[in-house]
Amino acid sequence: MDIFEKLQILADSAKYDASCSSSGSNRKNTKTGIGNGHVSGICHSWGADGRCISLLKILLSNACIYDCKYCINRCTNSVHRATFTPREIADLTIHFYQRNYIEGLFLSSAVVKSPDYTMELLIQTISILRNEYEFNGYIHCKTIPGCSKELIDKLGNLVDRLSINIELPSSDSLKLLAPQKKKSGILEPMTYVSRHIKENKLEKSTKKPFFVPAGQTTQLIIGATPESDLKVLKLSESLYQKLSLKRVYYSAYISVNQDKNLPTLDKPPLLRENRLYQADWLLRFYGFKADELLDDSHPNFHSVLDPKCDWAIRHIDKFPIEINTADYFTLLKIPGIGIISAKKIIRARRAFLLDFDALKKLGVVLKRASYFITCKGKYYYPISSFRPNFIETNLIYQERVTFPKSSFEQLSLFSSFSKPDEKLPVFQSLQPTKEDKIKCLTGNL
Amino acid sequence: MSNWKLINRTFLYDGSLDGFLTIVFNCYSSKMLPQKIYVEKDYISNFLDKIVVIKTDFEKSKRVFQGIEKIIGYDAFYYFYYAFLSNEKEKEMYLLKYLCDGFDSGPKINDRIAISYVFKVFSMQKRTLSECHRLKGLLRFQEVGDNLFYASVHPDNAILEPLGQHFMRRFSRQNFIIHDKIRDLCFLYSNQNYRIVDSTNMTVPTISAEEQKYQELWKLFFHTISIPERKNPRCQMQFMPRKYWKDLVEEP
Repeated sequence: MDIFEKLQILADSAKYDASCSSSGSNRKNTKTGIGNGHVSGICHSWGADGRCISLLKILLSNACIYDCKYCINRCTNSVHRATFTPREIADLTIHFYQRNYIEGLFLSSAVVKSPDYTMELLIQTISILRNEYEFNGYIHCKTIPGCSKELIDKLGNLVDRLSINIELPSSDSLKLLAPQKKKSGILEPMTYVSRHIKENKLEKSTKKPFFVPAGQTTQLIIGATPESDLKVLKLSESLYQKLSLKRVYYSAYISVNQDKNLPTLDKPPLLRENRLYQADWLLRFYGFKADELLDDSHPNFHSVLDPKCDWAIRHIDKFPIEINTADYFTLLKIPGIGIISAKKIIRARRAFLLDFDALKKLGVVLKRASYFITCKGKYYYPISSFRPNFIETNLIYQERVTFPKSSFEQLSLFSSFSKPDEKLPVFQSLQPTKEDKIKCLTGNL
Repeated sequence: MSNWKLINRTFLYDGSLDGFLTIVFNCYSSKMLPQKIYVEKDYISNFLDKIVVIKTDFEKSKRVFQGIEKIIGYDAFYYFYYAFLSNEKEKEMYLLKYLCDGFDSGPKINDRIAISYVFKVFSMQKRTLSECHRLKGLLRFQEVGDNLFYASVHPDNAILEPLGQHFMRRFSRQNFIIHDKIRDLCFLYSNQNYRIVDSTNMTVPTISAEEQKYQELWKLFFHTISIPERKNPRCQMQFMPRKYWKDLVEEP
């Protein structure tokens, strides 16, 4: 099997991993080495699905011993199997990196023989890159569930980011769809890594070895199991708080396998995934809590409005907010105002009191914000319109939701049946022209 | 700066950073603002304009440079530098006003983003930086000789120098050429040193079979990694506008 075929098979199996960020690590280049980390991360290309390609995302092998129902590489599926040698991956990474195709390597693997054996292979690959080729670029590696702690330590010293995918947001779902994986097998390594990162940060020696400088992440599959958005978001919140994860990725479930325990979906639930990402940002950067955004009476997100708008309409008593006096975290609660705008506002109002024109000039988008703020005590619309249902209607209208087209239409005298596609400008002819309006005013009509 | 005299002159300079800083020196010391400032070779003569050609004076530009760092702060030089690289028309007047006002009011100038020229400088800076960041990812090297790499770019703004410096840190062991095809300039790097040279008569080298193999592998990877069920060409186009496609290896 040549390298083209292997790359095809193993990149194809790796594509369902959502994570592709290369941020968080500021590893410096060495004198004789190649590559460095860029703290904000760099995207190198974008695939046809619009997701960025920043790392060489690849599996070491897809010959898995596990039988997880949702996974394309489960051992009972008949797909082509391939395995790279550690050196092949290291060479490919270096050659791609030299040509600036990628920012680094994202290495994952199916479980070959046993978790520990797979981990050994991963470590071997990465130590060729780090020690032999003196590669200082970004490396993101998967921890295999159920591997031993010594191997995690070894891997952690070599890579920038570790991740282990939870995939299914509750232990019941895990039992149903991934019978060989255990909750403890996933959570124990995560807890161990997060504790080790904290210890490493506390150590004061300047010569301390790196340990996962870009932190650890995880991924949850959305839509394969019946959990509500609230439950998923609660899980993410506790992961951020307790295990100080950098990111939780959400991956809309794509039906790749047929199984009685799996739902059959025509399309992946992309909107739900999008809403969860929006809420995830609200948790991490905007000071929101999962309980605030959703509760038992609203366990799922609004389909048209984003989570912050939805929250603001349900908590209209906290608004309108005065732009010139509100503090940073209060500004962040306004729909349409994000971190960049809030910082700009705080900076600009040191010099001037802001009004709506000044806000527009600063580049603050007023599309949503205008309903929730006052500037120098003035509201953008007549104050009588400050009512939740007025605001909600307007916001929904602004989103320009395209409702499904119905198959029937109102017949017009002028439309011809032979050419149903052709649209006659019926509406335009019925609209009063400028001439009509003048005639109307002068009384000639 | 409000009581400065507006004189009916058009200043021409050579387009370099030092040339522009010389203008800043002349204006600030005489408390006078010109009508317009143009780069000498782009200027189309107009019989209404009264032209003054400003000669680059390195002594003056050095003093302005030190003054910016001392009085307005290092941040301001950073903003100014990236805004200066922008391809915005009449960027010079905005920058001149920004710096002159900055010398009067100090670091506080950076808070006054509601003033039109301060805002303009910031937005120019932001656009240049974001293009530079985008090209850090979208630039593609080809191996054209033993440890020699070549890349061509078509950037809107004159970002060759900061772009090259990024790759200097990253690929300190390999020699490379970055070719700005719009301005016909080349960034040459070898052994911790770089030069920017004119490249009007440069011929693009041919590539080897080995290089061809890695380009094919990359194309294969690029097409394999996207998920067909999630196809979203609009999103892709938003991040990777068509104007950058001609320098890419992959065909999106």
